Amino acid sequence: MPKVRAKDVGLLAAALGFVLFAVAPIAWMALGAFKTTAGLISIPPVWPDFTYLDNFSQLLRENYPFLLNSIVVTLGATVLAMVLSIPMAFGLVNFKLRGTNALADWILSTRMMPPIAAAVPLFVIFRNLGLLDNVVALIIAYAGFNIPFAVWVSMSFLRRVPKEVLEAARMDGCSWFQLLLRIALPLSISGIVTVATFVFIFSWNEFLLALFLTTREARTFPIVVSSFISTGKVYWDLIAAASVIQILPPVVFTLLMQRHIVSGLTMGAVKD
Amino acid sequence: MPAQATLGRAYPVRPARRTFLRANGFQQAAMMLPTCLFLVFLTIYPFVYSVYLSLHQVKLTTLNRAVFVGLRNYTNLLTDGLFLHALRNTAVLAVCSITLEILIGFAAAKVFFELSRWRFVVVLRSLYLLPMMATPLIVGMIAAYVFNPTIGIVNYLIELLGGTPVSWFGEPTTAMAAMVLINVWQWSPFMMLLTLAALTSIRDDLYEAARVDGAKWYHLVWYIEIPSVLNVVLLGAILRIIDVLRFFDVVYVTTRGGPGDATMVVTLYAYLQDFQFFQVGVGSAAAVLILGISIVVTTFAVKLLRVVEDA
Repeated sequence: MPKVRAKDVGLLAAALGFVLFAVAPIAWMALGAFKTTAGLISIPPVWPDFTYLDNFSQLLRENYPFLLNSIVVTLGATVLAMVLSIPMAFGLVNFKLRGTNALADWILSTRMMPPIAAAVPLFVIFRNLGLLDNVVALIIAYAGFNIPFAVWVSMSFLRRVPKEVLEAARMDGCSWFQLLLRIALPLSISGIVTVATFVFIFSWNEFLLALFLTTREARTFPIVVSSFISTGKVYWDLIAAASVIQILPPVVFTLLMQRHIVSGLTMGAVKD
Repeated sequence: MPAQATLGRAYPVRPARRTFLRANGFQQAAMMLPTCLFLVFLTIYPFVYSVYLSLHQVKLTTLNRAVFVGLRNYTNLLTDGLFLHALRNTAVLAVCSITLEILIGFAAAKVFFELSRWRFVVVLRSLYLLPMMATPLIVGMIAAYVFNPTIGIVNYLIELLGGTPVSWFGEPTTAMAAMVLINVWQWSPFMMLLTLAALTSIRDDLYEAARVDGAKWYHLVWYIEIPSVLNVVLLGAILRIIDVLRFFDVVYVTTRGGPGDATMVVTLYAYLQDFQFFQVGVGSAAAVLILGISIVVTTFAVKLLRVVEDA
């Protein structure tokens, strides 16, 4: 144990203040999930009863298909984005082709595309393909919006694979696909998993595109949750329970992967 | 070396053939081309189509009856009071929240940096990061709940401390203040992480040399720490500006741009044109302008970043 300095006490108090500010609103909503509607809107506030789970059961009874949609879309988009991004990133790092730098820059620049600028065109494309209100459309759209990020951050991990190892295997007659699948990928798997987790969370959190591309059947969980508030009456009981469910994956992710968050959110520009 | 061991075991040795080069090219194309095509389909084509729509008077319901109007959608936008308010609100939101995020992020980073000898502080730091990855829509829901004028905990606490309750989303100024607060709450941790990474990378001998010269703590902050974190903070600010231009989910569930047009932001404006009024020509013009602003601001900020890094 290091020695406690006088100023450590003040610093610790400040740190606790920051933590309280960050966590309290989330915690307050989470506590609400275990209250009755009357409890949720009671002033002064009441303490929740953690055995009261009616909010969750009512929410899921009516809305589990939409939670399922969210899970399918998120997993599908993550897999599709990674399948398309990893070979691309591998190629950009290892192929000695003219224009790879320009290609990488172009991919980075597509990250600038605001979802709102793509929303109407995607709406039209998917309507013409008969994929409106279909989870497939969301999987494709989310994958597309995450590829720039996934390619760039994967590149920074794939660059760490020693070139000599790849060249030796190449001399032995390995194809590029074998190099990727049997050498580069296993050697950078922890980084690639980090990237995939980010794509998962970004897709899980997405709202605007789903608002444009779904109407009934394919609605994702956030879209349904948003309807609990917009119809004149506000269903705080459902909102509180839904908030807990919706926010759980990002919370777990943050607690587990906080070491990688800096490099993830800055597209690898800042190392942690 | 494990990699070498893998090599020895797993690969059949194939002799180089004449077709090798062609096969090589084919493989490389197979790895990169599908992704390129996919990106063209999902970003370039929509962008071109958006520009096309922005030059037409066209309804979402009757897309095949588009009438070419040249730049009229753009000129109309720049004389539309609502859009100008949306631009101004977005600028205010960006400047206020990003400034506060940088200041609070720096303060928090300093605190966590000074405490980094203590292992358990890592737990506190993780908890502080929670808002950052939280689903923006749920952040909006939480805001709607805690800022609610009658049932919200914020007003309850204000009254408990002897203040007068605020009708948060009911008044233009407080509604905007609430939006800034929500952004600051969610994204200060991001600035904290960036600043902390930069602070950690300052070499110890720099501090030692400064102490030997008799520098006070504010000298250290001003002459060593602020210059060291400047470039990452700028990078963070660039990313945040792009984010603020996309700010949507929270206003969508809390104020819908109101009261009046006090919290109307550009993305919400484009959304309402597209889906409320079905004027996709106008909506697309707004979206193209949002992209244009992103590009201009980013280009400028990246130039600034280069200057800072070279200095």
